[in-house]
Amino acid sequence: MKYGQRTFIFTFLFIPVLVYVVFVAVPYLTSMAVAFTKWRGLSMNITFNGFNNFIKLGNDENFWNALSHNGIALIALPIVIIIISLFFAFLFTQGIRGNGFFRVAFFFPQVMSAIIVGVLWSFVYHPTIGMLNGFLGILGVSSMKSFPWLGDPNTVFGAILAVTVWQAVGFYMVLFITGMESIPPHFYEAAKLDGANSIVMFIQITIPMLWESIRTAIVFLALGAMDMYAIVMIMTNGSGGPSRAADVVPRYMVEAAFQNGEWGYATAMAVVLMLIILILSILSLRFTQRETLEF
Amino acid sequence: MANVKFEHVTKRYGDVVAVNDLNIEVNDREFLVFVGPSGCGKTTSLRMLAGLEEISEGNIYIGDRVVNDVPPKDRDIAMVFQSYALYPHMSVYDNMAFGLKLRRVPKAEIDRRVKEAAKRLGIEALLDRKPKQLSGGQRQRVAVGRAIVRNPAVFLMDEPLSNLDAKLRVQARAEISKLHMQLGTTFIYVTHDQVEAMTMGTRIAVMKDGLLQQIDTPQNLYDRPDNVFVAGFIGSPSMNFFEATLTGGDGEMFVDAGVFRVKIPAERQEPYKSLKGKQVIFGLRPENMHDPEYAPPGIHQALVESKVEVTELMGNEVIVYLNAKDKSFLARVDPRSKMRVGNSVGIAFDMDRFHIFDKQTERAVR
Repeated sequence: MKYGQRTFIFTFLFIPVLVYVVFVAVPYLTSMAVAFTKWRGLSMNITFNGFNNFIKLGNDENFWNALSHNGIALIALPIVIIIISLFFAFLFTQGIRGNGFFRVAFFFPQVMSAIIVGVLWSFVYHPTIGMLNGFLGILGVSSMKSFPWLGDPNTVFGAILAVTVWQAVGFYMVLFITGMESIPPHFYEAAKLDGANSIVMFIQITIPMLWESIRTAIVFLALGAMDMYAIVMIMTNGSGGPSRAADVVPRYMVEAAFQNGEWGYATAMAVVLMLIILILSILSLRFTQRETLEF
Repeated sequence: MANVKFEHVTKRYGDVVAVNDLNIEVNDREFLVFVGPSGCGKTTSLRMLAGLEEISEGNIYIGDRVVNDVPPKDRDIAMVFQSYALYPHMSVYDNMAFGLKLRRVPKAEIDRRVKEAAKRLGIEALLDRKPKQLSGGQRQRVAVGRAIVRNPAVFLMDEPLSNLDAKLRVQARAEISKLHMQLGTTFIYVTHDQVEAMTMGTRIAVMKDGLLQQIDTPQNLYDRPDNVFVAGFIGSPSMNFFEATLTGGDGEMFVDAGVFRVKIPAERQEPYKSLKGKQVIFGLRPENMHDPEYAPPGIHQALVESKVEVTELMGNEVIVYLNAKDKSFLARVDPRSKMRVGNSVGIAFDMDRFHIFDKQTERAVR
């Protein structure tokens, strides 16, 4: 390293590292410690609790219920969102009329905050004045008249997942369109001469060449599936749905900390969630890894 | 194996005519080269034949069948792309086998054909590699291999050597020619490089601005170009052109270019008699201008005084840049020539090899 270069680098690194240590590293480590305590969050009375918080978690039905919903989202969201996004990306790269408008229209939900999306769709799902039931009424589905989509334990989580899909599809569609448009056309021409039809070309040429984008989508969506806090809070009025039918771990964690005053327990939940996300990230990156393509 | 026919084929992109009324018959087992500058319509013609571009007017035949509406995969053709278009996520083997798999050729047969083609091209050791692990020359071979395994009736090649370095290009040129002879299949090849065209083609179609200028054997194109464009395009360095007037009387005829006045031998005067007094374009190739000391014996020479501006010693020849009264031209002379920069020299025009073109139509007068 040249003379003075070290000082120069350290000067620039000092502030970001300081911010990271104070606002990220210290809280992480502190929460790890808090997870092993019994603390109500306000008093100075913190007692060491060993692994009891974790043992309690293992026996807590509500936690497993919330985690199962995250698990369902983990499976469903990447599959559904990627398939729908790929479909629309393919459609809008075929040179159809007005695709510029559709691209913007599909991307639009992405720029809205989860709060607005949640409120908007709560109205759509409203049993009496909601657009969905009104629409079903027009179609003659009278059995769905006044059906409480967000008030029925059988439908509430599905309804929320549908909103998540609606919001995310535009972003991933744009991601895939960019990827598809960067694939040189001569590969498709060569495939045409080789005898490939559109489906074969999509599976054998487009998907492999788009893999880096799909991989990014899988990782992002997997991590997003472990969260879902905002949308669930808004659409279930903070309750996690009737009979906790749409509860997710982050929401239950907030309930434990801020409503029940079990900070030690909530933090243990956070630590477990962090470990799950860490493992998920590693697994999804490893299992989706392919050779980098040059074209 | 099949013959190919372009019948009044036109391709338009909006108002732009990329290919204009193209009529060519390519015989079975022939090696036809489309050559011309960028944008002349050569690649578009090939792509129409491949089925990658729609035809605006006319018909294309492969064998006896009109293929205008036949999908590319059913035309019994294989194409080598300029960029090779090797699927980057597949191994060399899979790249070569892909087309056969889609045609449901039995696995054992695919294996046999791929290995046979790989052996022929010397790429057996590369079958498990991915395209990015190959050099440019190896990729080019794989692209050719992918075409060979299909055993098509017609091979199409779109500038397949343009991404190779000069030395490799010369080698690959010979290999493709050899391949054509071994396979005995119709080859249609597109290039902008007239040397490739001359060395590989059994016939060459020269195109410019979407129009076919001339189609003939390499030697005929060189010896008897139909117009100024073909004369200038074929041959390297290009033919020298001089605006001139044909003059004379009493059985004598001269080309008067202002900067020089040279005599046309009696036996070559006949076709030009009607042009006496008219303006023409006089063309002479650099290899038909000699240092008088080393001029081939028995030719009709005409000496033209000029000044040497630059000389390029190539070993087997010297390229001399000459200037006669502000008109520049090039000569390829014997390497023993003592012409040096700044010298005033007499350069010997071989008057048995000149070309005359009509100034208005730019067409050859013979």
